[in-house]
Amino acid sequence: MRLELGHVLIKDVQFGSETKIENGVLFVNKEELVKLISEDEHLASVDVEIAKPGESIRITPVKDVVEPRVKVEGPGGIFPGVLSKVQTVGTGKTNVLKGCAVMTTGKIVGFQEGIVDMTGPAAEYTPFSQTNNVVLICEPVEGLKQHDHEKAVRFAGFKAAAYLAESAKTLTPDTVEVFETLPLLEGISRYPDLPKVGYVLMLQTQGLLHDTYVYGVDAKQIVPTLIYPTEIMDGAIVSGNCVSACDKNTTYHQINNPVIHDLYNQHGKTINFVGVIITNENVYLADKERSSDWTAKIAEYLGLDGVIISQEGFGNPDTDLVMNCRKIEEKTIKTVIITDEYAGRDGSSQSLADADVAADAVVTGGNANEILVLPPMDKVIGSLEYIDTIAGGFDGSLGEDGTITIEIQAITGATNEMGFNKMSAKGF
Amino acid sequence: MVKEIERAGIPVVHMCTVVPISLTVGANRIVPTIAIPHPLGDPKLDPKEEKDLRRKLVEKALAALETEVSGQTVFE
Repeated sequence: MRLELGHVLIKDVQFGSETKIENGVLFVNKEELVKLISEDEHLASVDVEIAKPGESIRITPVKDVVEPRVKVEGPGGIFPGVLSKVQTVGTGKTNVLKGCAVMTTGKIVGFQEGIVDMTGPAAEYTPFSQTNNVVLICEPVEGLKQHDHEKAVRFAGFKAAAYLAESAKTLTPDTVEVFETLPLLEGISRYPDLPKVGYVLMLQTQGLLHDTYVYGVDAKQIVPTLIYPTEIMDGAIVSGNCVSACDKNTTYHQINNPVIHDLYNQHGKTINFVGVIITNENVYLADKERSSDWTAKIAEYLGLDGVIISQEGFGNPDTDLVMNCRKIEEKTIKTVIITDEYAGRDGSSQSLADADVAADAVVTGGNANEILVLPPMDKVIGSLEYIDTIAGGFDGSLGEDGTITIEIQAITGATNEMGFNKMSAKGF
Repeated sequence: MVKEIERAGIPVVHMCTVVPISLTVGANRIVPTIAIPHPLGDPKLDPKEEKDLRRKLVEKALAALETEVSGQTVFE
């Protein structure tokens, strides 16, 4: 499967009379976008704001972040089984609005939503302070059930991203990246001397607003399976989840998975990148046992020499992570796990809820319990009323002048477990 | 908490869903439960069935408390 990703570089976003891209500037017809998103009868009101890098703007509670992409050539459409019809994606050409993101906010859906500051100390912790953001403020109709609320806001983000990306469909991209994964036997015989490496991508699927969808299927109902990496770049996996902001994989993270990009980068040089195994993180022990049995079984079946495993969320998914690691290592396949830590504010507590001697190669995204002080911003998009109650916040987090004292857990993407952040640690 | 109470000489049964974590932290008597969001119940059952389920789990835990163990034991 071969995909060309065409990057249309977006340097600025402005409102305009027509939605179009000119010389790197994305113009957004606000009225048209609001009308499109307002078609959902679950939403009482929709507004759109723009937030650019360096501006004194705080966006909260942030639910999802989506990168606008559009299929230019090849079967299917972006977000198959969700926004587009179910059809296998990942081949042909896809254009990306690089440097731009759609962000959703409004009345809080679940208490684990986040903060994005466009400047100041917290901006260093979130990648979305560096993107030109089109922010949707979606307010639900009264009495809407929480799950329907989540779905309505989730779809609002996808619809807006698809709407904006359409303007790049006929443009010539500024840069092009090509990614290709061959059918298994062909791929393995191509580089017979290089170690065969796979990637186990764990998806948050605990239910109760902690869900991820694969081609529209609720991933808690899947058994682990194989997916071409390029399918993910076309939106085969989307986030529907309100797990802690610091270590949830937004849809933006999913389609830009840096583990996949880095594995492709080394493919044919130091490793043979064989493919991706997706698995879930369910709340029944039997599911955890079955899914980790299966990731190990598939890794063995593929004849892998090494596996990278990334987690999403924390707490009981630490057990899924450790089970995947232990069972794959038991097949004499080497593993590296990527996680983050909840080691207390002073960093001295046990970092993960579970452990095993097999987990002897660990990459961390940082300690989510660290405290940060966020100075007030000139403008707030969304609302500050949830600051004391979102995960990472506490009574008194929000000061009278708008200063926020909070664990970095509350900052979107701060300790991301795909490594889509700047923090880590090194052991000696 | 399990370990500190046992240190004081009182036996403890840890009722939990994620048995591997309980084993990792060192509980001696472990009774597996239903699911992480609802360890001692099951919203899919009707109230009578659920009450039976709860009673059985508590009885199993009480029986575990009375059972001599020589190491970490999971009461399936």
